[in-house]
Amino acid sequence: MATEILTLTNVSRIYGKEATKVLALTDVSLSITKGEFVSIVGPSGCGKSTLLNLMGALDQPTRGAVHFDGNSLGEMSRGELTDLRLQKFGFVFQAFNLLPVLTAAENVQFVLQLLGFSRRERQSKTTEVLDALGLADVADRPATELSGGQQQRVAIARALVGEPVLLFADEPSANLDSTATRELCELLRQINTDRGITIVTATHDPLVMGYTNRSISLEDGRVVEDKSNP
Amino acid sequence: MKHPLLSRVSLIYSLSVRNLWRQRRRNTILLVSVICAITGVVVLNSLIRGMQLQMVDQVVYNLNGHITLHAPDYRSDPAITRAFIEDSNEFERKLESLNLAGWATRIKIPAVVMSERETRGVQIVGIDPVQEHISIVADLPIEGTFLVDSADNRIVLGRALLTQLRTKIGHRIVLVMQDINSKSIEVGFQIAGVYDSDSEGMEKHVVFVGKDALQQFLGSESITELSLRFNTRLIPPNGLETISHAFPNLEVVDWKNIDPILAFMYESVNAMVYVWLAIVFTALVFGLMNSFITAVLERTQEIGLCKSMGMKSSLVLYQVVTESLIIMFLGLIGGLLLSWGVLQLLGDGIDLSAFAAGVEMLNLAPKIRPAIVWQDINIVIVATVFLALVASLYPAIRAVRLDPLVALRD
Ligand SMILES: Nc1ncnc2c1ncn2[C@@H]1O[C@H](COP(=O)(O)OP(=O)(O)OP(=O)(O)O)[C@@H](O)[C@H]1O
Ligand SMILES: [Mg+2]
Repeated sequence: MATEILTLTNVSRIYGKEATKVLALTDVSLSITKGEFVSIVGPSGCGKSTLLNLMGALDQPTRGAVHFDGNSLGEMSRGELTDLRLQKFGFVFQAFNLLPVLTAAENVQFVLQLLGFSRRERQSKTTEVLDALGLADVADRPATELSGGQQQRVAIARALVGEPVLLFADEPSANLDSTATRELCELLRQINTDRGITIVTATHDPLVMGYTNRSISLEDGRVVEDKSNP
Repeated sequence: MKHPLLSRVSLIYSLSVRNLWRQRRRNTILLVSVICAITGVVVLNSLIRGMQLQMVDQVVYNLNGHITLHAPDYRSDPAITRAFIEDSNEFERKLESLNLAGWATRIKIPAVVMSERETRGVQIVGIDPVQEHISIVADLPIEGTFLVDSADNRIVLGRALLTQLRTKIGHRIVLVMQDINSKSIEVGFQIAGVYDSDSEGMEKHVVFVGKDALQQFLGSESITELSLRFNTRLIPPNGLETISHAFPNLEVVDWKNIDPILAFMYESVNAMVYVWLAIVFTALVFGLMNSFITAVLERTQEIGLCKSMGMKSSLVLYQVVTESLIIMFLGLIGGLLLSWGVLQLLGDGIDLSAFAAGVEMLNLAPKIRPAIVWQDINIVIVATVFLALVASLYPAIRAVRLDPLVALRD
């Protein structure tokens, strides 16, 4: 039987107060099963990022509960949430992913340093993941000198290197052309199948959607469709 | 195997260094201002300390020593009847453990001096010239000859007094004083030599005779004071107590008691040194804080990214503080080196003779020679570290408070 690792129960997220209040998400209930490759789709402003941030323990719902591995995120302290993100989750953001003062390899190592790996282990793990993602050549280049596609791949490498359970990607292809997008999606699919890492990605690109095996559609903060892709 | 601490320290350190390097122009300016501030504090403090110690030197040097011992009632009425027995062996034994430059035994009593023409009140000082290497006596410029030994029954007086008495070297003068039985006696002395001094008061009032010779005239074996001078410029800690213990029957007087005005000035200078340090560092703290706040604000996104990825708030805090510590550490090293260089250049002292009048009034030496007081340097070091923490704490807390999402959005 498939195991649910992430569950949202009647989750709402309201930004702001009274007059300026925005209902970004309304009464969302869903669960993510281990091994899935899920896309969250919908028009701009429908609440994709909001949903992803709630799932990724970056934000707290106004109402409702989020459970990871059976534990309620709402009952965890700030420090515990930080540790959870570090140890179980990987993130790839839309635009800003890499620390500009570090090289590609150092950006990847960053997570391992936070996790407390020894120097030797950091180096071997970093080399391994950069090689696997075809980034060996750019390993020692400053992050700012990489192309958009390379930056996103380094971001994926960094998200992967800590061997997370869940990988969140918020519009990872937003700044990429279609060739680069295709390569990125191939990579994500490969990670999903080969490493068994569950992936949740927000996108409004049908191309990305096509690679995933489940699509959740949002409209005005509500789930309007949740379907499996053949 | 995991080494959490080590790998986090190396992460924080490398991030801090890179961030500092990225804004190298701004941080260089910051560093230079820290170096200047530290150099300013250290150099000026050394000059102030030099001045302060020179004031003390002068008191100590002027026939007082760091510490003087008397019979308990001597100071209210200086007379040979209020004296104590000179026992060199006992003194030697009691003083040998102290780091002394030397000690001198003296008789200091009032007398009236008469020449053929004039009469003046003076202080007659019976000395053993051999012991006086610790005082100004050894360095007084002499015309004629000085006393050869303690048994020398001639007299040496100041040039001003000689003029007043309208007499000459080789002539005889008569001193009237009270002997051990409080009886007035008149003793004739031949003038061996005349000394010059910066102080006209001394020239007019202080005359020197051999101590043993004086004791014979007075009919006493005693002395009225034992004067000590340490090898250090100040009395070492516990020096006063040790001596009080060793000589329970004598009154122990240190230079602060001898010259209370100077003692007050000395204490004021202590306060001044710290006030000056506080002023400079307070000014610096705002500049630093401003700079670190800017540094945090321009890295909003990066800090947000780090926090999203699971960097703990404490690490974010340490990271910002580390940047400040690195700058301050470099500033400290640079500042101390520069101070050392400047003090090296000033080593001979700053000539104040252009302001001679003020210099004399304040009892200053005509040349200020800087003095390094290690305690002051230690305080500068501690203050610098403290400053680094204070200046970066608020910016660091701002970094900690950043919401990772807000930070990432724009
Ligand atoms: N911090 C915030 N404060 C106020 N309103 C917000 C905030 N974040 C998002 N919103 C609002 O919530 C709604 C959902 O935003 P969200 O960013 O989740 O949409 P999205 O689907 O990710 O859009 P896009 O495709 O443009 O990234 C929008 O109306 C947005 O303006
Ligand atoms: Mg979005």
